[in-house]
Amino acid sequence: MKTSLTALGSFATFTSAARFLLQIPTTHLVNPSTLPSTTHATLQASGPPLDAYLTRSNTFNFNNVSAGSYLATVHCRDYAFEPLRIDVGVEEAVEGSGEQKDMIKAWQTFFGNEWDNKGESRGEGGNGLVIDARPVVAKYYYQERQGFSPLSFLKNPMILMAVVSMGLIFGMPKLMENMDPEMKEEFEEMQKNGVLGSGSTNTAQQIQNFDLASWMAGKTDSGNANSRTQSPAGPAKKR
Amino acid sequence: MRLYAALALAACAAPAAAIFEDDAYHIDFHYALLGLPKHDATFFQKPYAGSKASLLYSISENQTLGAINPKDGALVWRQRLPPAPSGTGQLRCGHEQDTIVSAAGNSITAWSASDGRLVWDTVTGGTVEDLEILEQEDGMANSATRDPIVLVADGHASVRRLDGKTGRAKWTFEDASGDTPFQVSTSPTAIYYIALHTPLLGGSKLRVTFLNPVTGKKLDQYTLNSDPEITSRDRILFAGANTAAPLLAWTDKANKVLKVNIIGTKAVSSFATPGDEAVESIVLHAPNHVDSLAHFLVEYQTAVGHSADVYHVDLKKNTVAKAYSLPQLKRKGTFTTSTSDANVYFTRITEDEVVVFSSVSHGVLGRWNVKSSPVLAGAYPVHGQSEVVVKSGTASAVRSAVLYSNGQWALLRNDELAWTRPEFLSGTVSAVWAGLPEEEALAQALADESHRNLVPAYIHRVQRHMHDLKYFPAWAQSIPQRLLGSVIGKPRETTVEDIQHDTFGFHKLVIVATEAGRLAALDVGSRGKVMWNMDLNEFAHHTSFQHPILKAHSGYVEVKDANFKGSVFINSTTGGLLSSDNIKLEVPLVSKGQGLVSFTLVDGTLKGYLESKPSSEPVWSFTPATGERIVSYTARPVKDPVASIGKVLGDRRVLYKYLNPNLVLVVAVLDSSRSASIYLLDSASGQLLHTMSHNDVDISRSIPATISENWFTYALTVDSASGASTRGHQLVVSDLYESPLPDDRGPLGANSNSSTVQPSGSTGGVVKPYVLSQSYQVPVEITHMAVTQTRQGITSRELLVTVPSTNSIIGIPRSFIDPRRPIGRDPTAQEQSEGLVKYAPVISFDPKWHLTHKYEVLGIKHIITSESGIESTSLVFAYGLDIFGTRVAPSFSFDILGKGFNKISMLLTVVGLFVGVLFVAPLVRRKQINAIWKM
Repeated sequence: MKTSLTALGSFATFTSAARFLLQIPTTHLVNPSTLPSTTHATLQASGPPLDAYLTRSNTFNFNNVSAGSYLATVHCRDYAFEPLRIDVGVEEAVEGSGEQKDMIKAWQTFFGNEWDNKGESRGEGGNGLVIDARPVVAKYYYQERQGFSPLSFLKNPMILMAVVSMGLIFGMPKLMENMDPEMKEEFEEMQKNGVLGSGSTNTAQQIQNFDLASWMAGKTDSGNANSRTQSPAGPAKKR
Repeated sequence: MRLYAALALAACAAPAAAIFEDDAYHIDFHYALLGLPKHDATFFQKPYAGSKASLLYSISENQTLGAINPKDGALVWRQRLPPAPSGTGQLRCGHEQDTIVSAAGNSITAWSASDGRLVWDTVTGGTVEDLEILEQEDGMANSATRDPIVLVADGHASVRRLDGKTGRAKWTFEDASGDTPFQVSTSPTAIYYIALHTPLLGGSKLRVTFLNPVTGKKLDQYTLNSDPEITSRDRILFAGANTAAPLLAWTDKANKVLKVNIIGTKAVSSFATPGDEAVESIVLHAPNHVDSLAHFLVEYQTAVGHSADVYHVDLKKNTVAKAYSLPQLKRKGTFTTSTSDANVYFTRITEDEVVVFSSVSHGVLGRWNVKSSPVLAGAYPVHGQSEVVVKSGTASAVRSAVLYSNGQWALLRNDELAWTRPEFLSGTVSAVWAGLPEEEALAQALADESHRNLVPAYIHRVQRHMHDLKYFPAWAQSIPQRLLGSVIGKPRETTVEDIQHDTFGFHKLVIVATEAGRLAALDVGSRGKVMWNMDLNEFAHHTSFQHPILKAHSGYVEVKDANFKGSVFINSTTGGLLSSDNIKLEVPLVSKGQGLVSFTLVDGTLKGYLESKPSSEPVWSFTPATGERIVSYTARPVKDPVASIGKVLGDRRVLYKYLNPNLVLVVAVLDSSRSASIYLLDSASGQLLHTMSHNDVDISRSIPATISENWFTYALTVDSASGASTRGHQLVVSDLYESPLPDDRGPLGANSNSSTVQPSGSTGGVVKPYVLSQSYQVPVEITHMAVTQTRQGITSRELLVTVPSTNSIIGIPRSFIDPRRPIGRDPTAQEQSEGLVKYAPVISFDPKWHLTHKYEVLGIKHIITSESGIESTSLVFAYGLDIFGTRVAPSFSFDILGKGFNKISMLLTVVGLFVGVLFVAPLVRRKQINAIWKM
């Protein structure tokens, strides 16, 4: 990292004035000719960023870019674009010839990552390089309002509970009537023994003894259970 | 990698209050402004050859160019050019071209006329003095593209012809004579370069150089003896017009004599200006079309009225002769020129009348009496552009885009006002909130009562209630209509007219002051309707308001300016001037033994003075570390209600907030080492509470900061020059607590009666806060910050940031920038119940956070917020070039029914339940009876 940057720094001593363009390709996501004219691209390194307006041919032209490593961003009202890293440097045209020419390299880059963390290459070449600036996602600004629909009303758990209990209240006697006489007898026996009945009374009791205060105080269910099992210790402490 | 980014985005996509689609464009408003249009750079033009309708193009005094739809005044497109001296922008358009060419500063740019996209741009070495389009070449119309001719001043003058397709220079003519370049003008045969030749003594001589349009070679040159008249540049009235006979006109200092030269001849015609009244200014109007008649109109403005003379140019004899005069009117007005084929028409526009004349004779072709409008009340036309339709000798229709003296840009279509654009608002420099008249009156009445004895106060109150009773019948009558309206839910815009139904307190006035010294009031609840608009300079002769500073009091605003001694008091509801002895100055409540400390920046040092003794020695002063320069400082808002003094954690323990009301945040930068320091001060004692420092900061970019409640935040740009490992922009958020431990009051704990709200009350010194910070990377640069305000401070706050690169204002929910977000691990159940999410280094701005949604707000400099009548909602107003206002509900609108509440379905449900009860009731009754019988 350090070495590459110092190398870039040394490039800056040559008078470099690179020229390249960012182009918005036509994709299934967007027809670039429909983009608003406020769409623009910036190259940011140090000091005020270089700014380029969107041209008729869906490009952003950058002229006279001095050597350095730039963050290229396309700002658009309707679409989010991927950020790019563009390095502008000077290279020898032919090895050992001593003739200098501008070299432009472009990669994908990622916010919140180290600058050296480059992604896919987006092209490299000399002056006049065309780099694709790809839109990633359309921006959607609005929140959907949840309208009233009978289905969502029925999906409500309270309503479902009510419907089920209604079904039980009205359906059970009918079921009992249609049962085998033997099964019916068995069932009545069971009820007498109190398997079903006692269970129901127990839940009723639980609901009656529900400790609203502790629940409101944010004690979780497990904590609640713990306090119940360790009931002798708890109140003792309080006293 | 992309997956990672997507995950980060998903993490941020937790619910946050966004704008509903049906609320957008209803609760918010936006004035997409250009600024005051420049007279010579505003025109009607077809966006491309063969287009049916024309657009109105203009470049404004502040270098914003754009196209306006003349039908409704809506903005079609606009572009803001890089800053250049005010009013130096140029805009030209060739006949039947699909591009328009602008010049500002050192750049010349061609834009697609229909959608505002860039066609080409070139940068010159110096500033562009003038720009013209070469319409004809050797008497032939250039078929494809017209080439622009530019005059550039970079040490010496040069004239260039640019290729209309690419912007490259075709030829350059260098003028090494050292004359001051003035203008270029074109004719079918030559290009005229006009310069001011100024000898050491006396006035300037006009020197005209002829250039060959094809080669750029100098053909001829002559000098006009204009030195008795031309003492300064502004004496030259007119140069150019791409007519067969381009003109050069100037006048003397007293506007007594008018001299006209047909460029290309040496003869100078001299005319006397009307002598009845002192002529204040002279404007020359000439058609700008190649084929039109060589007629022109000279407009004379006097203190009370205006008049005009029409002149004809004889091309064969090369003479100028006066054709007819238009009589003086004792009111202000202006003239516009329009052409149709070869005919030239002049339109006279006054406050109440539009009259069309032909250039040939003084007969009136058409006359319309303009209907008066409250928007233009008391204002007169300053300049304008017209399009005239003439059929068989009478003008059948005329439309004029006119700039009025009150800063409204209006379009008059025959006799009616089609639209107005409040362009004067583009230079807003200061804005304050003010209450509505009704509220203010009630507050006044209540204040009166509280100052009286019990008995008179009671009588006063009863009287007031009796008085209010007279509104009762009207109110009762309106009830059925309102109920019906609200149930059927017609999309009626109740907001505009009936301000008295402002139950929710959304209607608040914002008083704005512009750099030109205008003051206006906008109603934020009524989509920014301009309630009144006045000129401050009327009240203060000999001074001009440059940067007025406003301060709101109940019922009036106080205006101060650096150029003006003392202050002006303006009634905030009517815009009328109040004399200072009519108003009761509010004295801030200070208990005995305490004094108010005010502070200002003096020579790079922040100094605090006792308010009672402003001239005395400062109580405290704060100088940042050596070499550092204070960039800005922000104080906690005076009105910043806090609902809870602590933050309740998931385990029901409490972190006590550090709520010092005197906090001041100072941003200082060190230019040499590219570092920024943030200092937190106590403004009562001047004590330093906290310091933060950042290296590798791009100090040429703005470092916005804000402070609210018990937290402060700032944003900065990372400088790449020193090889920082990251790039982009950062947002740093810090929370202030009394102690790092929950249920602990830190240094205050030992005191039985202490509070950070009264920091210097009990303990003497100021307690230092415990500061918790986190920083995030944000994808774009932030230039300004503000925080929402609500009535009680119960609603969670939202950080509002201005993002100029996307022309938007974004509201970042406070929960996303909570410095207590757990780093490197998932939040525990308790943290989850507090609403904390895992720390992610990037905050990507969710489109749903954009308050401005599809609006593109340009050049926003400042955001102000205010409470509304209900707790959930905060009012937001942003100004700069554009004006934007909206209301936000950071914790959703929990105390008001939204548009999504379907009243009809609610009523239907109630009816349905009632019917159900009717059916079930007999069933239940029967069952009960059966049960009794079974027993």
